[in-house]
Amino acid sequence: MSELLNTLMQDARVWQGHKHNKTTQPAEPTGYQALDNQLGGLGWPRGALSECLLDTPGIGELTLLIPLMQRLSQAGKTVFWLNPPHTPYAPALARAGIDLDQVIIIHTEDKGDFLWTLENCLRSPVTGLVMAWPGKLAAREIRRLQLAAEAGSNVCVLFRERHYVEQNSPAALRLELEPDHQQGLKVNVVKRRGSWPGQRCSLAIAHRASLSHHEAPRVVQGPWPGAAR
Amino acid sequence: MAWGGTVTSMLWLHLHFPHLLLDHIRRSGEHVAALVIVEGSGQKVIQACPAARDLGVKAGMRLKTAVSLAPDLGIVRADQSQEARILEDQALWMYRYAAHIVLVPPNGLLAEIGSLQRMYGGLPAVWRTIEEVLHERQLTAWVGIGHTPLAAGLIARNGMAECTSDTAHILRTLGRIPLQAAEFDVRTRTRLKRLGLSTLGEVFSLPPTEMARRLSPETLATIQKIQGSRADPQVSWQPPHHFRQQADFVQDIEQSQGLLFPLHRMLSELEKDLCWRQQDTDCLLLVLQHRHGEPTRLRIRTSGPEHRAEAFLSLISLRFEQQPLKAPVASLRLTVKRFLGREVPGGQDLLGENQDLNEAWHTLMSRLQARLGDNALKQLAPKDDHRPERAWSTSDVRRSNRATITTACQLPRRPLWLLQGPQPLTESPKAWFTGPERISGGWWDGQRVHRDYYIAQLNSGQLAWVFRDMREGWFIHGWFG
Repeated sequence: MSELLNTLMQDARVWQGHKHNKTTQPAEPTGYQALDNQLGGLGWPRGALSECLLDTPGIGELTLLIPLMQRLSQAGKTVFWLNPPHTPYAPALARAGIDLDQVIIIHTEDKGDFLWTLENCLRSPVTGLVMAWPGKLAAREIRRLQLAAEAGSNVCVLFRERHYVEQNSPAALRLELEPDHQQGLKVNVVKRRGSWPGQRCSLAIAHRASLSHHEAPRVVQGPWPGAAR
Repeated sequence: MAWGGTVTSMLWLHLHFPHLLLDHIRRSGEHVAALVIVEGSGQKVIQACPAARDLGVKAGMRLKTAVSLAPDLGIVRADQSQEARILEDQALWMYRYAAHIVLVPPNGLLAEIGSLQRMYGGLPAVWRTIEEVLHERQLTAWVGIGHTPLAAGLIARNGMAECTSDTAHILRTLGRIPLQAAEFDVRTRTRLKRLGLSTLGEVFSLPPTEMARRLSPETLATIQKIQGSRADPQVSWQPPHHFRQQADFVQDIEQSQGLLFPLHRMLSELEKDLCWRQQDTDCLLLVLQHRHGEPTRLRIRTSGPEHRAEAFLSLISLRFEQQPLKAPVASLRLTVKRFLGREVPGGQDLLGENQDLNEAWHTLMSRLQARLGDNALKQLAPKDDHRPERAWSTSDVRRSNRATITTACQLPRRPLWLLQGPQPLTESPKAWFTGPERISGGWWDGQRVHRDYYIAQLNSGQLAWVFRDMREGWFIHGWFG
């Protein structure tokens, strides 16, 4: 090899394809081994945006984040809920082992305040996790958030409607969430920075309603009058 | 407190502010070319700034003449209470350097410096310190040092200051003051003149018996107080228990941006004051006075103890962004009445986090509250009530340092999402799981609840917490998110 090339190699100024086997971006384990495996053994990326895309609440989307919330809140990191669509129910969070002193709910009135708040939370060293329900976002606004996320080193999960799957997004991780049979959650990796997308897995999270894994409905004949019809 | 019995050991420093009001207004950061202070009736100029003097405006001139000389003249009417307040502001900073301070209205400040010499390392060092502070505060002041309060005042007002603590030297300096400048009333002056005396020194050299025979007892007392042969007790000024600063503007300020400059100075003043007090605060009151109408009162809260001017300023500018001025501002007052003890820095608290993180937390919360309002941020807590809608409560954010008590498993299984209010169930669920769980209560406070709760899966796959109430209606109350 020529001397020039050698110098370049030693300076690490040339990117070598074979070295890019594994991403080294910082991440937080999701707490679900099956999902971590699909995410290159890493989990939620830190200092980057993640998106969860789903149709309706109540399919286990919060349960997906419970292990992370629990770990961060107990480590003294603040967990922000920005514009949640419903009330995060304190007794259930406490039961899941989340330190409620570290949980802060914020409601903003307009888009400007929302973006400003999210940016401020992301840049702060006290933040562990920000969960945000942004509604409609322009691509330029997501880029702005991605930049803010890169400035900090915490996990930021945006909950968006599922039809945004079709849209491009600068988020580092995009997960499509669907209800699966036996009250499970089907996770489809739409995008993952530094690797190929398309991984799928199903998480058994029926325990969120105290239902065991293979439980048949205990109420065989529901009290719903129309159910018999 | 009064003292001054043994006058000989004391040394007084008098600061005479020839145009304090002008200095005060100039410090508010406006760029008015020429500025004068007019007397209460508004007819006569009593103080003129250097720029005005260059245009030919002099103290004692009629205002009409002054305006014709300088058409763009900024005019401020003298106001006694305002002058008294500004003089007290000077006492406030002076108090950081000297313990015994006496106000000499309308424009003088007296400080006992005899006891300070050792602390500062000699009289020249005291002098230098005071001059530096005066320069830093852009104040014009004439300094005088004397062995009695009156001597110091006379020397200061006549601009004859010398840096000496030698009584004989001070008396010689005083002796050179002509009678016209010695501040006697007209009758005494005429009488002394008739005696053929022309300087204060000649008065001092009169034999005491002669002096007692020829002069009124009051004049004699004054002369003896200047000389130091008669006690002249002084009442010492005590600093107030709160912090207050005011900026007055010649021209009304219409943009909140324009307020940031004077605010920056006031907040640095606050920071110095808090450092000197060794305390912090978490609440500032800003009062913006308008020419007409009610003043605007802004309460700026920080989420934790704070003393840094920068932190206060960024909170205030955030507030200004959210809340534009409703009218032009004529003056701005900053008050702090709540002081908090400083926590000992360093060390780690129960959660093992250091001071930096605590501070970052307070900074973030203060910023969010300043922009979003105090009610936008909430913390949650479970509450002891059987009724699901009452089994939780919200509170204002606060930093908790106590170790967490996990009571997790005793709590019943509940959904992570609670709907703001129960919503009618409009479809037949695809599967039913646990239930019914009967929740009945509230007969004691009139909010009666009597429901059977089930967990059911809707056709969309959502896991819902549904109930049937007493009237057989079906509702969704939460989602197992």
